[in-house]
Amino acid sequence: MAMAPDMLFNLRNNFYLGAYQAAINNSDVPNLSEDDAIERDCLVYRSYIALGSYQLVINEVDSSAATPLQAVKLLALYLFSPDNKESTISSIREWLGDAAIGNNPILRLIAGTIFMHEQDYHEALKYTNDGRTMELYALNVHIFLKMNRSDCAEKQLRVMQQIDEDHTLTQLATAWVNLAVGGSKVQEAYLIFQDFSEKYQMTSLILNGKAVCCMHMGNFDEAESFLLEALNKDAKDQETLANLVVCCLHLGKHSARFLSQLKLSDPEHMLVKQGLSAEESFDRAIQTVG
Amino acid sequence: MLTKFETKSNRVKGLSFHSKRPWILASLHSGVIQLWDYRMGTLIDRFDEHDGPVRGVHFHQSQPLFVSGGDDYKIKVWNYKLHRCLFTLLGHLDYIRTVQFHHENPWIVSASDDQTIRIWNWQSRTCISVLTGHNHYVMCALFHPKEDLVVSASLDQTVRVWDIGSLKKKTVSPADDILRLSQMNADFFGGVDAVVKYVLEGHDRGVNWASFHPTLPLIVSGADDRQVKIWRMNDAKAWEVDTLRGHMNNVSCVLFHSRQDIIVSNSEDKSIRVWDATKRTGLQTFRREHDRFWILGCHPEMNLLAAGHDSGMIVFKLERERPAFSVSGDSLYFVKDRFLRFYEYSSQKDTQILPIRRPGSNSLNQGPRTLSYSPTENAILICSDVDGGSYELYIIPKESITRGDTVQDAKRGVGGSAVFVARNRFAVLEKSTNQVLVKNLKNEIVKKSALPVAADAIFYAGNLLCRAEDRVYIFDLQQRLVLGDLQASFVRYVVWSSDMESVALLSKHSIIIADKKLVHRCTLHETIRVKSGSWDDNGVFIYTTLTHIKYCLPNGDSGIIKTLDTPVYITKIFGNTIFCLDRDGKNRPIAIDSTEYIFKLSLLKKRYDHVMSMIRNSELCGQAMISYLQQKGFPEVALHFVKDERTRFNLALESGNIQIAVASAKEIDEKDHWYRLGVEALRQGNSGIVEYAYQRTKNFERLSFLYLITGNLDKLSKMMKIAEVKNDVMGQFHNALYLGDVQERIKILVNAGHLPLAYATAKTHGLNDVVEDLAEKLQGNIPNLPSRSSSLLIPPTPVLCGGDWPLLRVMKGIFEGGLDNVGKGGNEEYEDAGDADWGEDLDIVDGENIQNGDISMALDDEGAPEEENEEGGWDLEDLELPA
Repeated sequence: MAMAPDMLFNLRNNFYLGAYQAAINNSDVPNLSEDDAIERDCLVYRSYIALGSYQLVINEVDSSAATPLQAVKLLALYLFSPDNKESTISSIREWLGDAAIGNNPILRLIAGTIFMHEQDYHEALKYTNDGRTMELYALNVHIFLKMNRSDCAEKQLRVMQQIDEDHTLTQLATAWVNLAVGGSKVQEAYLIFQDFSEKYQMTSLILNGKAVCCMHMGNFDEAESFLLEALNKDAKDQETLANLVVCCLHLGKHSARFLSQLKLSDPEHMLVKQGLSAEESFDRAIQTVG
Repeated sequence: MLTKFETKSNRVKGLSFHSKRPWILASLHSGVIQLWDYRMGTLIDRFDEHDGPVRGVHFHQSQPLFVSGGDDYKIKVWNYKLHRCLFTLLGHLDYIRTVQFHHENPWIVSASDDQTIRIWNWQSRTCISVLTGHNHYVMCALFHPKEDLVVSASLDQTVRVWDIGSLKKKTVSPADDILRLSQMNADFFGGVDAVVKYVLEGHDRGVNWASFHPTLPLIVSGADDRQVKIWRMNDAKAWEVDTLRGHMNNVSCVLFHSRQDIIVSNSEDKSIRVWDATKRTGLQTFRREHDRFWILGCHPEMNLLAAGHDSGMIVFKLERERPAFSVSGDSLYFVKDRFLRFYEYSSQKDTQILPIRRPGSNSLNQGPRTLSYSPTENAILICSDVDGGSYELYIIPKESITRGDTVQDAKRGVGGSAVFVARNRFAVLEKSTNQVLVKNLKNEIVKKSALPVAADAIFYAGNLLCRAEDRVYIFDLQQRLVLGDLQASFVRYVVWSSDMESVALLSKHSIIIADKKLVHRCTLHETIRVKSGSWDDNGVFIYTTLTHIKYCLPNGDSGIIKTLDTPVYITKIFGNTIFCLDRDGKNRPIAIDSTEYIFKLSLLKKRYDHVMSMIRNSELCGQAMISYLQQKGFPEVALHFVKDERTRFNLALESGNIQIAVASAKEIDEKDHWYRLGVEALRQGNSGIVEYAYQRTKNFERLSFLYLITGNLDKLSKMMKIAEVKNDVMGQFHNALYLGDVQERIKILVNAGHLPLAYATAKTHGLNDVVEDLAEKLQGNIPNLPSRSSSLLIPPTPVLCGGDWPLLRVMKGIFEGGLDNVGKGGNEEYEDAGDADWGEDLDIVDGENIQNGDISMALDDEGAPEEENEEGGWDLEDLELPA
């Protein structure tokens, strides 16, 4: 028995690897079943969100749309107006409580994402922990890594590997975990990113992945070239900028411009925050000395 | 069995391979000897002079000769170059069974039913020895390939080995000319030149065949007792070593393979059997439905065998000779004997990497067929036909070369074919369920995927290229989607270009070029087998057939680069160097001249700057190239290659290059060429050249008409003068008519004696004084004329007078003038074919300064110089009517 062809493979793959515009451009897949069509729309809207076009998503998804789309819209709302995030969070809690739709994997995924943005990892895990879809497992891995629980992340990863070792998300998650664990595993992570870059379109996600691996292995020159290539693709990408700052510091080059660029594009970025808090501590230390 | 060639004919009783050429002789029961080219599959010649079956035939190793012996008791020596029998050796008193040339002496050995073996000198055309001793038909007698021995088999159930050492001594001893006759006599009376060395008894029935091992002191024999026996001999004795049982009927022929450690026998039981010569076990049996086998032939140098049966013969080999290899960047991995080897192109270094499992020796043709290599993991997959298709996975140790003989404990599996699909994943085809199993390097199944169409082989394609019955398709394992498919019959090898954009699918006799989605680009058909191929950096596919290295351009144009003596397998191409593996597993760089195909490629890709520099710098010529250029619509390019004026002229006309055509026409100076030049010039509207061409051919009528339509009255009147000089009345009259010169017309008519016509003309035009004059002369015979007022016929003034007409736009080739101006081309430009003043052009082309309109040239030719200096003296007014 031949399994049915996976029509959305390319779309999903592009989305996972950060080729958002390519995902949107190639979303016109003919002859989709209803479920596939909803999944397609979800991916497309999530791509728009990733590109920052929140308003488009909010406008296009109306109240009659399916639950997953509504969930995606919530994410757009959350990101669009941080001021009103309380109401967004309360409505997502309300939906999650609803027995009819509370188990929807996309809804749970969005909930996990939002709580992760809130840095409320325990709350996020509450909804994502049962897994069931590759994306949820991958999110779990991500959350565990954020919590510095690489042991739990590895456990999740094994589950993913049992389901489909060659799945893009499994590979990505493997790379993350390998990076988190470090040591000789970094080489493997690098090979995964290398495979991606050979097989698929080069994205800043892949380039950043390679660069981070290189930095872990001490090849800052190579890392810089990857990062500059990524910067060519998207000059405002926060991850690229943050990595460049780090990379330049190691190479002894000027990083100030990248840092100020980063401050402009994402004042909330961890690197910026940590830098600020470090400065504050430094100031305080001077004051006490003074 | 890999059948290379098959014929249908009468029963084949004798066979012989040519040692150098791809030829085989087959002697038939019908009396005919056929000469076949088994590579091209054609009958080259047939020799039909024997009366009755021809049982023995043999090629000479170096001379263009062969010998045959038949049931007409005759041994004939033939020259295949002269297509005839040179002479006949008579002496045998019964059927002749076999004949064979000696490898260095001018001898022939023959075996006959008259119970004797005879040795003949084909130079003196005499019998030099008769070997007697057998007491039944002698079925076979053969020289030892090196020593002075003959082995014979007879229906008296013995095999005999004869020592002919003294025979050799006799022939080489220098002062034997006088003694020769007496010695010859001695021969006849059982001389001592050849003595029986050993008599081998052991067969229970008549022995049909016996032959020596090419190097070892072994003999193999086959008999009517259905057994094959192996015998060993030393200086003192010979003894039976073993018996091979298996044939179900009389064994007709048996021999040692020249290159492998095997024995091949055939029999009237309609089978060919292959035996392991060391283990003495049967390896393989090939059966035919209806045909009894009679004879075997073994190629002296190549791995080829032939067998003759009741209705024809087959040429075959037992094992594939193509080394399995895989190219990765600068390195080549290949299998030679039982080792995996590594070859680095840049340094041309060949190293042994690791020993692999010995191919199962209990059957033939089980060697590695394909290799697949994963560079990152340094892993290699070796597929073979063992167990109906299986693979072995080796990891090349990082410390590289292991010198030891210990075979790594490879991971194995069964499957139609196995190929790496990712760094650490390989796909294995499971034919029974039509599934592809994706495995990791631990040989564990990671994924199973059913194929949409039953496939019998898989190849690498980034994804997976599957071969189904009559097509190939690309299957994406992750999307489970067929990405493209293409009709292609039994693709044997798949060669991707380095950018993975183009693929060549090699079948037995054809090559299909397609892109990565399997969209068809072109198909090439070959009459002989396609062996291998590789892409060069320019997107040209270079491939080998059995006999040639050839190229295929992206548009499907193909041609020969080089001929080959032995087949080679291209592995990679660097510029002008092709790297090949030969059948002995040696890497050979072959330097080729890529000029021709690079030139054609540049033309095809419209890289005219390249074309130009190639024209300038390289010796590219030849009729083939010229006709290629003409055929492809580049006569103007071809023009630059040609020195021969006629070809040059033709090409110039074809490309509309008038200047060159004129220059060539001058060189050739033939009427026909001038005429054709005139036609082309007229087509272009270059009236100057037209005039010149007409002048050169002295085509006065056309010239006059040309002057008429260009309104060149001066010259027209000169033409009239010329006609007068030439006594061409009709021409004169025509010109007068064109000029509207009535007086002249009348004058001409009068001179010609056409008085009534002259009268009519004069009357019509109202020239009354002339009319009267004429009336007088006519003496009353005045014709009646209709009284109508008439007007003088004056030709209308041409729209354009003098000079050239607006010229036809001739597509000026990119190459026009480009030879002086490389790099300027690129776009086709339109320009007037020439300047309006043709005289100037002519100056350029011949430098001879012929003045436009210098009609005197024509006059000169006519030898009528009197009017020469009277330029302008031809006006109408000056003409006087003769009184």
